[in-house]
Amino acid sequence: MAGPAENHVLGINDTKEDTEEQTAISEEERNSAETAEGREKDMSPASGSSIHRSGSRPQLDLSGAAIQGNFEERDPAILLPNQSDDISHLALDIGGSLIKLVYFSRHEDKRIEDKRKSSFKQRFGIPNGNRRSYPILGGRLHFVKFETSKINECLEFIKSKQLHRGGMNPRRWPVDISPNENVVVKATGGGAYKFADLFKEKLGVSLDKEDEMDCLVAGANFLLKAIRHQAFTHMDGRKEFVLIDQNDLFPYLLVNIGSGVSMIKVDGDGNFQRVSGTNVGGGTYWGLGKLLTKCRSFDDLLELSQRGDNRTIDMLVGDIYGGMEYSKIGLSASTIASSFGKAISENKELKDYRPEDISLSLLRMISYNIGQISYLNALRFGLKRIFFGGFFIRGHAYTMDTISFAVHFWSKGEAKAMFLRHEGFLGALGAFMSYEKHGLDDLMVHQLVERFPMGAPYVGGKIHGPPLGDLNEKISWMEKFVQKGIEITAPVPMTPLGTTGLGGFDVPSSRGDTLRSDASNLNVGVLHLVPTLEVFPLLMDPKTYEPNTIDLSDHYELEYWLTVLSEHLLDLVDKAVASEGGTDDAKRRGDAFARAFSAHLARLREEPAAYGKLGLANLLELREECLREFQFTDAYRSIKQRENEASLAVLPDLLIELDSMDEEARLLTLIEGVLAANIFDWGSRACVELYHKGTIIEIYRMSRKKMQRPWRVDDFDNFKERMLGPGDKKLSPHKRALLFVDNSGADIVLGMLPLARELLRRGTEVVLVANSLPALNDVTAMELPDIVAEAAKHCDILRRAAEAGGLLVDAMVNIEDGLKEDSPSVPLMVVENGCGSPCIDLRQVSSELATAAKGADLIILEGMGRALHTNFNAQFKCDALKLAMVKNQRLAEKLIKGNIYDCICRYEPAS
Amino acid sequence: MAALEAAPVQLGTTEAQLDNDQGEARIGSNFDERGPDSSAISSFDHISPWALDIGGSLIKLVYFSREDNCSENDAMKRIAKKEGEVSNCSKNYRVLDGKLYFAKFETSKINECLDFIQSKQLHRSGCRFQEAPVNNNTIVKATGGGAYKFADLFKEKLGVSLDKEDEMDCLVAGANFLLKAVPHEAFTYMDGQKEFVQINPNDLFPYLLVNIGSGVSMIKVDGDGKYERVSGTCVGGGTFWGLGRLLTNCKSFDELLELSHRGNNRVIDMLVGDIFGGMDYAKIGLSATAIASSFGKAISENKELEDYRPEDVGRSLLRLISNNIGQIAYLNALLFGFKRIFFGGFFIRGHEDAMDTISVAVQFWSKGEAKAMFLSHEGFLGALGAFKSFEKHGLGNLMAHHLVEHSSMALPHVELNTLC
Repeated sequence: MAGPAENHVLGINDTKEDTEEQTAISEEERNSAETAEGREKDMSPASGSSIHRSGSRPQLDLSGAAIQGNFEERDPAILLPNQSDDISHLALDIGGSLIKLVYFSRHEDKRIEDKRKSSFKQRFGIPNGNRRSYPILGGRLHFVKFETSKINECLEFIKSKQLHRGGMNPRRWPVDISPNENVVVKATGGGAYKFADLFKEKLGVSLDKEDEMDCLVAGANFLLKAIRHQAFTHMDGRKEFVLIDQNDLFPYLLVNIGSGVSMIKVDGDGNFQRVSGTNVGGGTYWGLGKLLTKCRSFDDLLELSQRGDNRTIDMLVGDIYGGMEYSKIGLSASTIASSFGKAISENKELKDYRPEDISLSLLRMISYNIGQISYLNALRFGLKRIFFGGFFIRGHAYTMDTISFAVHFWSKGEAKAMFLRHEGFLGALGAFMSYEKHGLDDLMVHQLVERFPMGAPYVGGKIHGPPLGDLNEKISWMEKFVQKGIEITAPVPMTPLGTTGLGGFDVPSSRGDTLRSDASNLNVGVLHLVPTLEVFPLLMDPKTYEPNTIDLSDHYELEYWLTVLSEHLLDLVDKAVASEGGTDDAKRRGDAFARAFSAHLARLREEPAAYGKLGLANLLELREECLREFQFTDAYRSIKQRENEASLAVLPDLLIELDSMDEEARLLTLIEGVLAANIFDWGSRACVELYHKGTIIEIYRMSRKKMQRPWRVDDFDNFKERMLGPGDKKLSPHKRALLFVDNSGADIVLGMLPLARELLRRGTEVVLVANSLPALNDVTAMELPDIVAEAAKHCDILRRAAEAGGLLVDAMVNIEDGLKEDSPSVPLMVVENGCGSPCIDLRQVSSELATAAKGADLIILEGMGRALHTNFNAQFKCDALKLAMVKNQRLAEKLIKGNIYDCICRYEPAS
Repeated sequence: MAALEAAPVQLGTTEAQLDNDQGEARIGSNFDERGPDSSAISSFDHISPWALDIGGSLIKLVYFSREDNCSENDAMKRIAKKEGEVSNCSKNYRVLDGKLYFAKFETSKINECLDFIQSKQLHRSGCRFQEAPVNNNTIVKATGGGAYKFADLFKEKLGVSLDKEDEMDCLVAGANFLLKAVPHEAFTYMDGQKEFVQINPNDLFPYLLVNIGSGVSMIKVDGDGKYERVSGTCVGGGTFWGLGRLLTNCKSFDELLELSHRGNNRVIDMLVGDIFGGMDYAKIGLSATAIASSFGKAISENKELEDYRPEDVGRSLLRLISNNIGQIAYLNALLFGFKRIFFGGFFIRGHEDAMDTISVAVQFWSKGEAKAMFLSHEGFLGALGAFKSFEKHGLGNLMAHHLVEHSSMALPHVELNTLC
């Protein structure tokens, strides 16, 4: 438990924040949100002391801050640490129908110094110690909704989380805030006026009213600039994310569909004009719908529409023209001529119509109308981009399709309707932005990471219970689902892909009886603000860089990987539980993890874009995140240890063998060794089965024997030529090489370390780049110094380089032969990459890595995750070598038209 | 039940001219302009002087009836006489005496329409001067979607072939004719004040014609026969009536209109003031009484449909639809740089609230720059256009030209109402 004196590391939280779903929050959602908060409190270092850095996205701790501060041209986001700032981390948008709440949970900084870091800082001339006494802004943005008519739930939520007092348990703060102190909270929306007294009375909070339009625009600008896959198009049931160039964002039309509709022409930050609007909006849909169908809530009404057939009520062109089209003006027979027009000509009363049909007719009428008026306004001002936001849309496929259809139809395809994943939160976010010194203005897209902690798939659940205080209660809450026999997936089943698209006003070709999960198919996660992340500077073109090699928008591809992950799950749970000693508590958490992760997979199977654009890297990272959420900090800890030890034991023999070879043979053997050792990968099911058949060394030797050139992708000769020179000519060695390492055990010890040693021997500085957080059996930056130190005991080259790199400060005494008089070696260093996934997205790496990359002229990416699943097609400014063994038949076929265990040695010299 | 309305118009004009001493336009008074050998005449053998506009909700019937044997009021005869004078002073036309009748039926009760036609013997051509054989294949001009849908029915029941005229063609032809030929066809309506607008026939084009039927068509008219449907919306008269019926159990469109006249939309609509605690949102120019969200108040109250007065529901609905049409029409006019927007179609039919809300919407969005105008003969544009398509053989232009010279008299309001 966190004591008052205990500071959080920037990003120390081992677990995920909870979710705040985009739909109006239900009780259990609130509970889950509380769980998160509870966990956040509980998960201070005491419970995870062996892990120095953890958290949703591993960040650098204060050293990172210092690095960043070193670059004077930057303007690092800074949060001044006085209490009043902390209090203000809550903002509200109180609309006519919904209350939207955005709050920020901050991470305090904590100093962790290890030898690796201090040496690294020395090497790069980074002053040790803090230039500032205050932390960088780092933390999480949460998004929550309440119905305005149930404003008390909102008040209770704020109270229970103490959001009006800075969102933290007061006892954890050195200076307590007096409850009587006048707390000011930014608020927008009409309700900011209407409910001002209520907030004052119940919470002692003064609402500081921010202009609604200002907030909307500020929120939209922030989201469009800061979140990579914020905007998407939605046509015929297909969602497609749109990359918005930050520099080419303006002007655009922002259509906010709340109770009514506002249309705003945005020309820049703070530069906008409300040019139009309509009173036919979300309130009309809900209000009329309520009168006509007696639905209890907006979502009920939306859900009804999914089973509706509007043809029973709407008058179609075909109804008027006897089934024929009015082709002269381009109206097909299925076009709606008059919404509700059929209700006039039949002797039916309200009760004779299905509520489903009424809801659908109403939805189409209003969506289409908004789309049309929006387009007319866009045309009027020559705007190509129209962004639709506001609570009315709420990720509902039919609504978006209808709006898109209207825009497409009237613009003859020239204009596109785009939607925002955080629709509905624009105003609240904008109000949040209106606090001074929050530092968000300067955040860049690469500094934000969105996480989808458990709780997200539970929207609409029916289980109510007491508020959840910690992980334990959260698990209990999840277990209730199982007891009650409720399958944990998204609330509404859906039809297969591609059947949701109805094209606005054309009548659906076939709707079937199946339901779709429209009402919640977009999840708003928790937004992690990580100012220390940077774009990897050696990327040839960060704008066109796409980390993922495999396109998961291919339905079959996604299905395959979901299946792979499902099948792997049981094994992973076993490992995870064993890593925690197999206690009952671990078992319980293991079960909860399995359920949670299965729910995520089920969710994604239903709606691949539920969490934004989905790539394989995201999918694999989700698993690691989910593990951490249930406090499994390192499921493969013991396996890694065992394999490291076994490999280190045979390293001396291998080094002797290598040293007996000539330069050319040695280089080939080294690359063979890297490829062979890459077989040890617990992420590969095929390999896991192999392990049961022999010892590590046996497998390694067998694997190496099979390493016969030519490999499936074989640029070895080119690489060799660069290394050893063409003919007798010698090229100067690389100045610095970045080695992105993969697995623990043989992979790092028998594969990459010998290769690093060879580079060091040739006078190249070597930086080993490893994960910040554990992912499968991947070696982490925390573990590497010990491994290097152990290896250095048997190898002079490694020892001197590690010394030079400052890795052996403590280990030096262990070195028997002190050859201190040797000429100084080039250094061997270790940096963390900033992530905790088996893959790496080079748009978001640690500032440490970014700094180290600046002097590098060779990149070696090793392993499936970093060289194949991601970055296989990445282009760099310097020489790049991608080495991996393909341990998956499907990937082998897809990527290189080869087979499982084929090898890839792809060398791409700097152009 | 017979026609909803069947108000006679004297002497083939579309106009009511009871108090008109100057004589006035008349339609179809010179079929024989080209002389007895004209092909127009021969083609006319098979065409009855009546026309239909069969829409989704209503059937509009326009028919011509010879006047000479009828004992209509004196005014008619007076006008007939005047007409003769007019003709004489311009050209030597032979003027037909007769009346143009307008009738409406609900499309769902199409049999009433058939009965009516039968009773009037219209399908037997109805033209006395015509000697077409009774068993001849009678052809009638028709427009509207129903001209396709009910073609077989007309053939079967009346032995009449519907000659389908394009709907837009007819609408535009009808509007152009009315706007050019009939003085004070157009008027504005604001705050209960009706004001006729003088349209210079030479400066009529371009304009935006908004026809509010079941759905709404917005047509950019650049000249006679020169037009383009540029927009439209499915939120139209059918929506008002259809939704209104579901919400109020009104038995007819007129009942619903009448009802909404008495209602108060503030009961159900969410106003800007409701959101802002009674305050204006002055920064963007929204007054507290502006509608923020139609029917928006229904969401936050624990009331059911029965708890609301049908009058208030109707009122909110009317404002929703009028407002929306007014806005979309204005935006389209703006895009094309048009100053004039004419609203027609059965939805308006002289209903003050509909006109008022549309006018307010146009004024609001245009910041007073554009004005909504209405047509006295809204509702019959299509049928009139179809009827006028008889005259494709060259009569129409002269007609209009002729009428322009006599277009200064005021048109009494009373007649308007009896007309439509």
